[in-house]
Amino acid sequence: MDPVKRRTFMQGAAAGALAFTVGGVEVLLTPEEARAQGVPLKVLKADEAKALEAFSEALVPGAREAGIANFVDQQCSVPPQEALLTLRIVNARPPFVNFYRAALTEIDRQCQAKQGKTFAELGADAQREFITLLRQAKHADWKGPPQGQVYGIFRDDGVDVVYGTVEGFERLGVPYMPLIAPKARW
Amino acid sequence: MATHEKVDVAIVGAGPTGAIFADVLTRAGKKVVILEFGPDWSHNDFVSSEIWGRRLKHAPRFELAGRHNPGHGSNAGWGAGGSMLHWFANAPRMLPLDFKVKSQYGRGLDWPISYDDLAPYYDRIAIDLGISGDAEQEKRWRPVTAPYPMPPLKTFRHGEIWRDAFKAHDIPLAPMPTGINSIEYKGRAACRSDGWCHVGCPIGAHGQPLWTHLKEARARGAEFRPFSYATRVLTNTAGDRVIGVEYYDDKKEKQTQEASAVVLAAYAAEIPRIMLNSATDKHPKGLANKNELVGKYLTCHTGASVWAIFDENVENHMGTTATQLMSYERYAKDRSPKGFGSAFYIMGNALKPNAGIAGARPDLFGPPLAEFMKRAVRGLARINIYGEEMPRAENRVELSSQKDEFGYPIARIIHSYDQDAIDLWNNSLDEGLAIAKSANPQEAWKGGGAAPGTIHLNGGTIMGTAADNSVTNNYGQTHEVANLYLAGSGLFPTEGALHLTNTLMAVSLRGAEHLAKNWSTITG
Repeated sequence: MDPVKRRTFMQGAAAGALAFTVGGVEVLLTPEEARAQGVPLKVLKADEAKALEAFSEALVPGAREAGIANFVDQQCSVPPQEALLTLRIVNARPPFVNFYRAALTEIDRQCQAKQGKTFAELGADAQREFITLLRQAKHADWKGPPQGQVYGIFRDDGVDVVYGTVEGFERLGVPYMPLIAPKARW
Repeated sequence: MATHEKVDVAIVGAGPTGAIFADVLTRAGKKVVILEFGPDWSHNDFVSSEIWGRRLKHAPRFELAGRHNPGHGSNAGWGAGGSMLHWFANAPRMLPLDFKVKSQYGRGLDWPISYDDLAPYYDRIAIDLGISGDAEQEKRWRPVTAPYPMPPLKTFRHGEIWRDAFKAHDIPLAPMPTGINSIEYKGRAACRSDGWCHVGCPIGAHGQPLWTHLKEARARGAEFRPFSYATRVLTNTAGDRVIGVEYYDDKKEKQTQEASAVVLAAYAAEIPRIMLNSATDKHPKGLANKNELVGKYLTCHTGASVWAIFDENVENHMGTTATQLMSYERYAKDRSPKGFGSAFYIMGNALKPNAGIAGARPDLFGPPLAEFMKRAVRGLARINIYGEEMPRAENRVELSSQKDEFGYPIARIIHSYDQDAIDLWNNSLDEGLAIAKSANPQEAWKGGGAAPGTIHLNGGTIMGTAADNSVTNNYGQTHEVANLYLAGSGLFPTEGALHLTNTLMAVSLRGAEHLAKNWSTITG
């Protein structure tokens, strides 16, 4: 990518946009826009995306609509040194999609074994109880990545798409890049 | 494999320490090559986004063992500028007592130098980098030999709100010295207080090598080779001289850079990895490791966070990643009723929603998290207390049975806090919570979990007085191989309880000038 184009993409990233491929053309969209436009997933399968959305929404309300599945999918599709996931800085071994697949598979295996349903099919109370035990690493016979890490990484990803973008700051009423008039001299 | 034309110095790592060595040695007229694992950044690359800022962090993978694993992914750097691209820019100095822990307390280790030896270098780094602060207010804790070149950064309510509470506990506060411009300095802009310091400051207010030592070294001809992964330091047949560095380039091809001297200025866990992988028949236990001290005496800082939410809007989005205020008042190592080691109070750093704020209550999820976020963006403030751990040989780096993509063992980091460090951390949490409550917040709570987290990684290639107690002498020159220098916090026998970038820069400046001054003797 030439420097000017690269810079444009970087500036897009500042606004929470990522490079998605639509109709063979690379365009800048926020994950929320990518979800709304039905941008095809590159790495995750449809059932994986559905499971990811359900789990993330239970962790961070708004994550589904904010495009968590498109965010994780896009980030898993780029070389690991270009990914911006929290997973990048916690000593995880690429490819990062393996972490998500292993975690989501185990979450549903646990839910099926105990409740006869997938996580997405559970009611809100049952989902909350499942996550509480996960956070405390109390699910017995757990076969996925460490429970605390699953809770922390999925929660961080959800927080990123819901609160870490310009729109997320705005929803909270936080100026994204204020030019601050000093109230007093030092 | 390609062998490059011999240069005077090959430096591994383009962070603050490698940059200082490059700066000093190019000033001395030496031909320098810098081998850096990551990319070549420029200020045009930076994006004010917490998410994007992770691009600046990409440590190699380690095998982690022990009960308290270092948080290297957040601390290590990647690319030109190294960890200083995302440092929080807190620049306090170690105190005189930090250098004589064994002598003064009968525990830990002594440094082979004193505070007075380092003070002139601290003063010069303050000028070179640009440090904002008020040295007069630090006089109660340390000898002051020179003022900072800039006044302190301006403060905001999420820092000021703590003043009365600390006063009530007889803990004086002072402005945190910061590597951030409070005024325009050396052609670099003054800080705009937007809190994006740690994701790459594009305006130059945030002091780091891209604006200072690395920029100047490259202007004088230092060659920078990005995406160069060092695997071994090469030695001569006799094993008494290093002759270059073996590395893999951006095309994954093996290269050799011959040099008259080598400086290892990589992350603290990576220097032992390279040295241990450089074993030969003359250095069967690893390079300069006759006494098996390479990798030993790792230390990390504990971080005791106490959070509070206030009724008023404390403007916690404003300011810098550096804290506004600090105190050494709990720094005496035998002061805590529980545990042993220094404790260092800091408060008032800017918070972003998807980092500091959401992380203040990691136990919350679902609707309670959403409700908390709305309250916290207005009223959240933090006190943080750094804690020290004493060096122990069992906290170490060794070679893993796992291999990197080129077939060399990766580093295995083994680290656990002892009970003294944990007790000190708990004591800090208790005292911090008591202070926070006296500021009359809506609520206050202890952060973190049941065990202390880890901040920074130090030791592993410590300096000392002789080969039987250390890897290097007091300049970072290895005892066994005269033309091999080490740089960074890996040299530190003890860690104090504070941010060490300022100290590692001062130590590197001293080491680099020693190499330059004694060049003919050292390189033969």
